[in-house]
Amino acid sequence: MKDKSMYIYGGIFAVLAVAPVFLNPYWVDVLNNVGLYAILGLSLNLIVGHAGLFNLGHAAFFAVGAYTAAILNTLYGIPVLWLLPVCALTAGLFAGIIARPIIHLRGDYLCIVTIGVGEILRIALINDLFGITGGPNGIFGISRPTVFGYVIRKPHEFYYLIGTFLMVTIFLFHRLENSRFGRAVNYVREDETAAEGSGINASHYKLAVFVLGAAWAGMAGDIFAAKMTIIAPESFNFWESVVMFAIVILGGSGSIPGVLLGAVLFVGLPEVFRDFADARMLIFGAAMVVMMIVRTEGILPQRPRTYALPEASNAGGNP
Amino acid sequence: MKKILFILMAFCLLTATAHAQDTIKIGLMAPLTGSFASEGAEMKQVLELLAANLNARGGLLGKKVELITDDDGSDARTAALAAQRLTTKGVVAVIGTYGSSVTEASQNIFNEARIIQVANGSTAIRLSEKNLKYFFRTCPRDDEQGKVAVDAIVKTKAKKVAILHDNSTYAKGLADEVRPQLEKKGIKIVFFDALTPKQSDYTAVLTKMKGAGPDLVFFTGYYSEAGLLLKQAKQMNWKVPFLGGDATYNTDLVKLAGKEAVTGFAFVMPPLPKYLPSKSAKEFLAAFKKKYGNEPSSPYSVLAGDGFRVVAAAIAQAKTTDADKLAAYLHTQFKDKDALTGTISFNAKGDRVGDVYRYFKFDNKGNIALQK
Amino acid sequence: MEEFFQQLTNGLAVGSIYALIALGYTMVYGVLKLINFAHGDLFTIGAYLGMTLLASFALHETIGPFLGLIVLALMVMGLVAILGAIVERTAYRPLRESPRLSAVVSALGASIFLQNAVMLIYGARFQVYPEDLIPETSIDLFGLYIPVVRILVLFVSLALMAALFIFIQKTRIGTAIRAAAIDQDAARLMGIDVNRVILLVFLIGPALGGAAGLLVGLQYGQINFTMGWTYGMKAFTAAILGGIGNIPGAMLGGLILGVIEALGSAYISIAWKDAIAFFVLILILIVRPTGLLGERVADKI
Repeated sequence: MKDKSMYIYGGIFAVLAVAPVFLNPYWVDVLNNVGLYAILGLSLNLIVGHAGLFNLGHAAFFAVGAYTAAILNTLYGIPVLWLLPVCALTAGLFAGIIARPIIHLRGDYLCIVTIGVGEILRIALINDLFGITGGPNGIFGISRPTVFGYVIRKPHEFYYLIGTFLMVTIFLFHRLENSRFGRAVNYVREDETAAEGSGINASHYKLAVFVLGAAWAGMAGDIFAAKMTIIAPESFNFWESVVMFAIVILGGSGSIPGVLLGAVLFVGLPEVFRDFADARMLIFGAAMVVMMIVRTEGILPQRPRTYALPEASNAGGNP
Repeated sequence: MKKILFILMAFCLLTATAHAQDTIKIGLMAPLTGSFASEGAEMKQVLELLAANLNARGGLLGKKVELITDDDGSDARTAALAAQRLTTKGVVAVIGTYGSSVTEASQNIFNEARIIQVANGSTAIRLSEKNLKYFFRTCPRDDEQGKVAVDAIVKTKAKKVAILHDNSTYAKGLADEVRPQLEKKGIKIVFFDALTPKQSDYTAVLTKMKGAGPDLVFFTGYYSEAGLLLKQAKQMNWKVPFLGGDATYNTDLVKLAGKEAVTGFAFVMPPLPKYLPSKSAKEFLAAFKKKYGNEPSSPYSVLAGDGFRVVAAAIAQAKTTDADKLAAYLHTQFKDKDALTGTISFNAKGDRVGDVYRYFKFDNKGNIALQK
Repeated sequence: MEEFFQQLTNGLAVGSIYALIALGYTMVYGVLKLINFAHGDLFTIGAYLGMTLLASFALHETIGPFLGLIVLALMVMGLVAILGAIVERTAYRPLRESPRLSAVVSALGASIFLQNAVMLIYGARFQVYPEDLIPETSIDLFGLYIPVVRILVLFVSLALMAALFIFIQKTRIGTAIRAAAIDQDAARLMGIDVNRVILLVFLIGPALGGAAGLLVGLQYGQINFTMGWTYGMKAFTAAILGGIGNIPGAMLGGLILGVIEALGSAYISIAWKDAIAFFVLILILIVRPTGLLGERVADKI
């Protein structure tokens, strides 16, 4: 089982590594968008999938990252890739400040608060907060990223940049999932009271996951700003949060392959449906309902943890 | 797992489109979904009509013209993808699009792919300040419209003016353009704020504006909000004159606000074909009415039509589809040509030159009349 | 002071519509713990159906304006209620036993589908209600100008809310709905057919939403296919503000949200109006995490 999936993943990786050679710039750019949303989906997956926190305002953290990059780059000329840690810091800090007083709220209340924060931030950006966000026009003229003096400009060049970032994300998040931290967070999601009883500080873990997911979205924002070279408040509206959320749930909440597949479907399908012109979103909506009904747990749900016991015959179930 | 492979296969198959060059391909990037879908739908209608007429007359350089439409969704990210997609379809030129920030997201992609882009509704000044070689637009810039609007306001002899925008790139740009110019002329701005578009109740906004006591309200946003503002001002019994920017006009405005409420409403915009004497404008209007049963409702779809005509004329005159030669031709030799919205020429930046804007006012029958 | 009262009436007018839509969110949430994202689009459909029926039957001309509007409202409410039940059947019932967030995504899908269906059927342009249905005059009340249509809308929505309140509080079926909202399993043991209760909720909520759509059409004259999204989000906020799952809470939440918006734009900033509304909501939730009238329920032991 393990070996088989390794072959499949290896095969996919190999196909994707050489894909830009065979694809035209449009499809490469679609894959870039898939990659970007996959990173965003994975970061939200920590919050929604692993910690079970109902976050429908993830675009806000994405926006904080993108605007941090855009402002520091256009005002001080700092190369965008150097700004990655700064974007992570500002987005994480922002998330920490807003999450601190609300993290204890019950599911749906947290949902509306995150929606509200997202909207407040968008309106603040439109109204040119502190005179540095450029109002509705946004910020333009963000410079392209450079790697060892090589300027990344074309879709297939971004493909490898985003691809690398995605690989690193998958690797780190995979390690995180199977760490002590990841298990504790899952425990809190499954049964907060029991987790508290086992000595896990639930709100501490929830807050940590929230900040971590937000910081990661901030870094994705940095890449997005560099790729678009122009960012405007409308790129971070409620709909973007909805897409990220749906990627996680539809793909399979808590599962990395699921979220990746969710990103492929959510970004890819509207493109495949382009030939339906103005009916494409209708078909997309119907597809969402059908997929959810057919696979209620998501397409590739999180597998229950299994542990091989030293001598017993049956493996353990869900923690 | 199979699903991933299947999707990848599908991706590969879909990309393997053949490139046959027996037609001249012209792209249209328009908002077919999203909040400006009505503008996009009409842009598509206009271009389909013009392309069909052109092909009926034998096409260009002995080839048929093929229109390739793509949806920008009124959103920068979708637009960037649509632009990438159009570049892979072998288009010579692209017409569009409507929103300024949406156009901006596509500009570099077309420029790097050496494709002529003729925007039809993107009036933000900075779009043409980047000196992109292949970028043109048939709509005038915000500063052009600002000047005309300031003149119109000065003519009304209003001393205190309220400026209301909707925080969109376009409306805010126009409001910001007009404000200092009015202040310079000694007109007091008693109110300057933005409403939230896409809502139906603006009585709170109107009540607040009324409290500021302006002689005139200048609204720079879009026609649906303009309709609601006019209607609700009338219901509130507030008889202040309104002046609008060019996005406030649409043939639907009378229906939206009611005949009584639009009476006396003035606005500046590029003229619709029916106010133009030229033969091509009259022919176009008749053909459009015949095919779709109504007049074009928005000046921007007609400006998209002008974009198409400009590209077609350039290809026919320069006898080439090479982007460099076409751009050179449009920049230098394309002067004072007859268009659906008056005469058209481009300056070195690709902006349309000449005063396009006219000042209109509604009479009490719901018709608009050109003002001097 | 006059301006203050004028803004207060402005806020109440908008708020009564929010309240009417919020009822649908809160009732569905009460029994299913589901945020019915498609509810906003059912509201849109109510507005469009109202326009179509007005144009095709012209009831106000044949049987008089008053009776005509009542019949029209009943038709719209009935049709939207049926549609609501269909949405429940197709998009939500198959997900009844699955994780809650899956149902949320299905609801989002249904919302996208309905919104685009309206766009494809009616076109993307703004649609307009026929003029002169209700006299466009205003009543001068101590210097406040209040349009007749506004008073009518406020009255109708308050009447609908009162009717619902009495229905929920005083009738047997209403008691069953409340029981199912508190504990489905216990309700089932008491002999309540929970499936029927859910169906009923998906008839009543959309019916009220559809009525709200018709009222918006009559009052503002202008409707478009994305209006459900804007109104829906506000109404959902109102439901949370009042304490989700709580019916009087949704009414109160809607009215308060409308007033906050109007006073916020009057005395703080118009451009920040929506941000102010959300900010107040967050403040209230920090101080009172269950909303204004929400009951404190034990989460999980």
